[in-house]
Amino acid sequence: MLTFVARRLLTAAITILVVVFLAGVLIHLVPGDPITAMLAQSGNASAADIARLTGQYGLDKPVWQQTLLYVSNVLQGDLGTTIRGNEPVAPLLLGRLPNTIILAVAGLGTALALGIPMGVIAAVNRGRAADFAVMLIAILGVSIPGFWMGLTFIQFFSLHLGWFPVAGTSARNIVLPALTLGIVHSALVARMTRSALIDILNEDYIRTARARGLREREVLMVHAMRPAMISVVTVVGLVFAHLLGGQVITENVFSWNGIGRLAIQAMLQRDYPLVQGFMVIFATSIVLVTTALDLLYGLLDPRVRRR
Amino acid sequence: MTRFSRLTLPALILGATALTALPLAAQTTLTVARSVDADGLDPQKVSTTQSSQVTDLIFDTLVTLDASGVAHPGLAESWEISEDNLTYSFTLREGISCHDGSAFGPEDVVFTFERAVAPETMNPRRSQYGPIESVTSEGNVVKVRMTEPYGPFLSYLGSFSIPMICRSSVAADGNFTPVGTGPFTLVEWSRNDHITLKANDAYQGFSPLIENKGRPYIDELKLVVIPEAVARMAALRSGEVDLAEPSLEEAAILENEPGFKIYSADLSGQQVMAAFTWKLAPFDNPEVRRAIGMALDRDSYAMIAYEGLVSPTTCPAAPGLIGVDLEKCAAWGTSYDPDAARAIMEGLGYTPQNPLKIKLSVHALPGFDQMHQMMQQHLAEIGVEAELETREVAAFFDQMSQENLRTEGTPVLWTMGYSGVDSDYMTVMWQQPGFVNMGVGAELDTMLADQRMLTGDARVAKLQEVQQYLLENTYAVPLVSPGWNWLWASTDKVDGFRTGFVASIIFNDVKIAE
Repeated sequence: MLTFVARRLLTAAITILVVVFLAGVLIHLVPGDPITAMLAQSGNASAADIARLTGQYGLDKPVWQQTLLYVSNVLQGDLGTTIRGNEPVAPLLLGRLPNTIILAVAGLGTALALGIPMGVIAAVNRGRAADFAVMLIAILGVSIPGFWMGLTFIQFFSLHLGWFPVAGTSARNIVLPALTLGIVHSALVARMTRSALIDILNEDYIRTARARGLREREVLMVHAMRPAMISVVTVVGLVFAHLLGGQVITENVFSWNGIGRLAIQAMLQRDYPLVQGFMVIFATSIVLVTTALDLLYGLLDPRVRRR
Repeated sequence: MTRFSRLTLPALILGATALTALPLAAQTTLTVARSVDADGLDPQKVSTTQSSQVTDLIFDTLVTLDASGVAHPGLAESWEISEDNLTYSFTLREGISCHDGSAFGPEDVVFTFERAVAPETMNPRRSQYGPIESVTSEGNVVKVRMTEPYGPFLSYLGSFSIPMICRSSVAADGNFTPVGTGPFTLVEWSRNDHITLKANDAYQGFSPLIENKGRPYIDELKLVVIPEAVARMAALRSGEVDLAEPSLEEAAILENEPGFKIYSADLSGQQVMAAFTWKLAPFDNPEVRRAIGMALDRDSYAMIAYEGLVSPTTCPAAPGLIGVDLEKCAAWGTSYDPDAARAIMEGLGYTPQNPLKIKLSVHALPGFDQMHQMMQQHLAEIGVEAELETREVAAFFDQMSQENLRTEGTPVLWTMGYSGVDSDYMTVMWQQPGFVNMGVGAELDTMLADQRMLTGDARVAKLQEVQQYLLENTYAVPLVSPGWNWLWASTDKVDGFRTGFVASIIFNDVKIAE
């Protein structure tokens, strides 16, 4: 087990190091100069101002030098300072990470709360109208763009019914973005639940359970659901990782003060240190989540440890 | 229970109930929704309008500007300029307090200038401070000495680019907390979410643009960030916010809807213009540039593309700024005349059957999109086939920096919006190398340098000479004014809101009706 843990941790460390390097170099491939973009808005950006600030931020150095410097700084725990406003990057991003995690957890919870019952209904009614209807709803959920669904929710629930505030980051504000994310991701959970449950419901031991005269509800909840959930749990990690990075648009629509909104603004402004910091922190979060899941699988299933 | 207690207990309860029922002076909070947040609250480290809109509420300026851009006393009650135009002596007002209660004085002014020009501050607006040689104080007088005359200095001093910060803003460890003398003090900033400000009880205002020279009427000002235009409008319509930046389309709808007000900045110092990669043939031919200028119908762009919420303009500097005379510019520049434009292009061999192929390079902004489509049609009518290329802002300016240096390839017609408080921004734009390398040449460079050395009427004349040169050679085709970040919408409960120069937002006179 120790070798397995060490191997996974080493893989995680190498992955993070590669991400730091890529964050350092890739940003320079995106067209757009951060200083010109910043000073263009001031209306009085002289060429001298641009040249001076470009030099002061070290952006006049060759890309390889900037990349090496960046990797070296990150390894020493320094993510740099923003070009806009000259603020330290790390506290800026880490301060918003909890909001992103809270919304991801709420979105995931909603996806599970919607997706699992939908999958069960579809599985036990396989081939019938209910199965078709549930899967249609699931496909609709995943097909409708999240930003459109979000804006529609704002129009209906906030503007017409007045149930929830339009914008902000609080307990009352989380309902609509969580619902939006949940509906979008519930399709995957529903499909996974359905297919896992259908496979299990065809197993011999289920037939045996029915032959023993157990009620259908008991067969389903006790004997079929538990093994089916193993497959669902596998999806949870993937959905959660996707939610951490994929909720950028939802954060923007609902003005949720998460890391994604900050990243969008930073990308549009070409605020290199902030974009790089986002990539590093986001990728590190994903690597940590997946590593934790790997370790958990290893703990639960000895076959994984031997691979 | 005694008779006394039987009577007094209900009496006390009644009294307490009555007290709680008394109408307490309700705290008035104005909530404003903006599309983006400030980048920072240190006015010497930020450059965006959205940042300065906030710092302008916290800090005041040495001088103030009236609606014509003329300088009036501000934190300085008077000033003198030496005969050689090199030394400015500002006599400060007494009795002005910083937000932390300390007295605002000459030390704060000297501190402001010294910090602003220090390299380690990395001030993106350093050049607006001018060629400062020294800043000293004697008693209540602060002397700013320049190495050479700097004509636009007073204009910039009156803008949100050069606010006066109190020394207590910077802690011993270098940390910055905004402490100024402005109408509002900072309560809280949650970046990308909201900024809460409260009225400065000790405020003394001097701007000619405000009527209420004392403490703002509202108690609290909350600036929230709602990036999506649809969500901002939903917040305004639901009453969650009182004032918001509308989209152009929403502004046009709300303008005719009861219960809402639309504000279009008329002092913004902003405008939109078209320019050429004039080093590339055939844009190196002034006649071709002139023909294209005559093909562009600024009136219809203002009325149709911008829903009538902007005005057509004719000068390379924005209306209201020093040296800007729209009638003179109209005579020097091009006006819509498609027949004449077509004749010029036909004479050069370009017809709708054999068109001149160019790129129309732009970045997306409200109103810009429709204007660009109309421009394409107008150009097609005179034998110019324009391929529209839209980029986001950062990539656009990067691209134009390269396009303006090229001497071979497809010619590019491009548009941009810009703003300022003084026509001096033509120096920043057109003096070589110029903004995104759009500089023109030595003759114009000299004129632009000269205007900085002058003051008064002589400077006005020189600024007009610059504009005449740009227009007669058709380096620029001014289109509309304003055109960027200039619209606001409020519920009709809000009264007294106005905008100042460069889209600054002024809340001193704002009252909220019950």
